[in-house]
Amino acid sequence: MAGDARLAHHFSSLSVQAHAARLGMWLFLGTEVLLFGGLFVGYAMYRTVYRAAFVACSHHLDRALGTVDTLVLITSSFTMALGLHLARGGRARQATAALGATLALGLAFLAVHGHEYAGDIAAGALPGRLYRAGVELPGAGIFYTLYYFMTGLHSLHVVFGLVLLGWLTRRTARGDFGAGWDTPLELGGLYWHLIDLVWIFLYPLLYLI
Amino acid sequence: MVTTEAVDEAGAPPSAARYLACWIALVLLTGLTFALSTVDLGGWSLALALAIAVAKGSVVALFFMHLWDHVGAVRLVLVTAVLFVVVLSSLVVADVLTRFPLALPPR
Repeated sequence: MAGDARLAHHFSSLSVQAHAARLGMWLFLGTEVLLFGGLFVGYAMYRTVYRAAFVACSHHLDRALGTVDTLVLITSSFTMALGLHLARGGRARQATAALGATLALGLAFLAVHGHEYAGDIAAGALPGRLYRAGVELPGAGIFYTLYYFMTGLHSLHVVFGLVLLGWLTRRTARGDFGAGWDTPLELGGLYWHLIDLVWIFLYPLLYLI
Repeated sequence: MVTTEAVDEAGAPPSAARYLACWIALVLLTGLTFALSTVDLGGWSLALALAIAVAKGSVVALFFMHLWDHVGAVRLVLVTAVLFVVVLSSLVVADVLTRFPLALPPR
C-alpha cells in the first residue's frame, strides 16, 4: 500500500483510514440527530399543550401524499444500499443505474412535497399568525410553523443529499469505487439513509396523529 | 508496528437479498401504519405509530446503514444521540403535563 495516493500519511492502512472516516461521519450524523432533535422536542411540547389543534391540523394534511413521500424515500434508501453493494462487487454500471434511480426518487420526493406545499399555501395553511385555513383553535399556527420548519429543513437535506449523490454517481460511473475502497460512496450513502430515517419519524408525527 | 486490521468487519458482506427483504419489510410497515391511522384508536394511535416508526428506523439503521455488521464506537453514536433526544422530550412533556393549568397558554 506504500505510495497509495488515497492513504493519508498518518494512517497505517486504508482500512484503518476508512474506519476513522466512518466514525467521523457517524459523529456528524449524531449532530444531525440533535439538530432535528430540537425540533422534535418543540413538537412534543406544543403537541402536549395544543393537542386538539394539532390533531385537527394533521387531518388537513394530505395523508395519501405523505405516504407516497414515505414510500419514495424508503425505496430510494433501498436503491442507495444496493448501489453501494453493487459498487463493492465491482459492477460499476449496475451501481451507477442504482444511484441514478436514487437521484430520480429524491427528485420525485421534492416534486411531491412541492406539490403539497402549493396546496397548503393555496388553502391558507400558513405558519404562525398568517394561518387562515379554518381550524379555529389556538395552536393551529404553531402546528404549521413546526410543519414548515421540520419538513423544510428535511427537504433542504434532501437537496444537499442530491448534490452529493450527483457527484457520487459520476464517480461511480467513472469506476472510482470498487472492491477495496469506497469510503466516499459509503459515507454519502449514510447521509442519504439519515434523511430517510428522519422522514420515517416526521411522517407519523405530522400526517398520522 | 502493530496493524489494526482487526477493526474491520468480520465475515462475508451482506447480500442483495437482505436489502430486498428490508425494503419489503419497510413497505409493509408503512402500509400497516397508514392502515392503522384510518382506524380510531384513541390515545393509542400516536404510541402505535411511533412504535412502528422505531421499528422502521431500526431496519434502516441496522441494515441499510450497516450498524448490524459494524463493531465498536460507531454503534454508540446514534444510540447516544437518540437517547438524549428521548430524555429531553420526556422531561419537557412531563413538565407541561404537571403544570398548574394557568401556567400554560390558553387552549
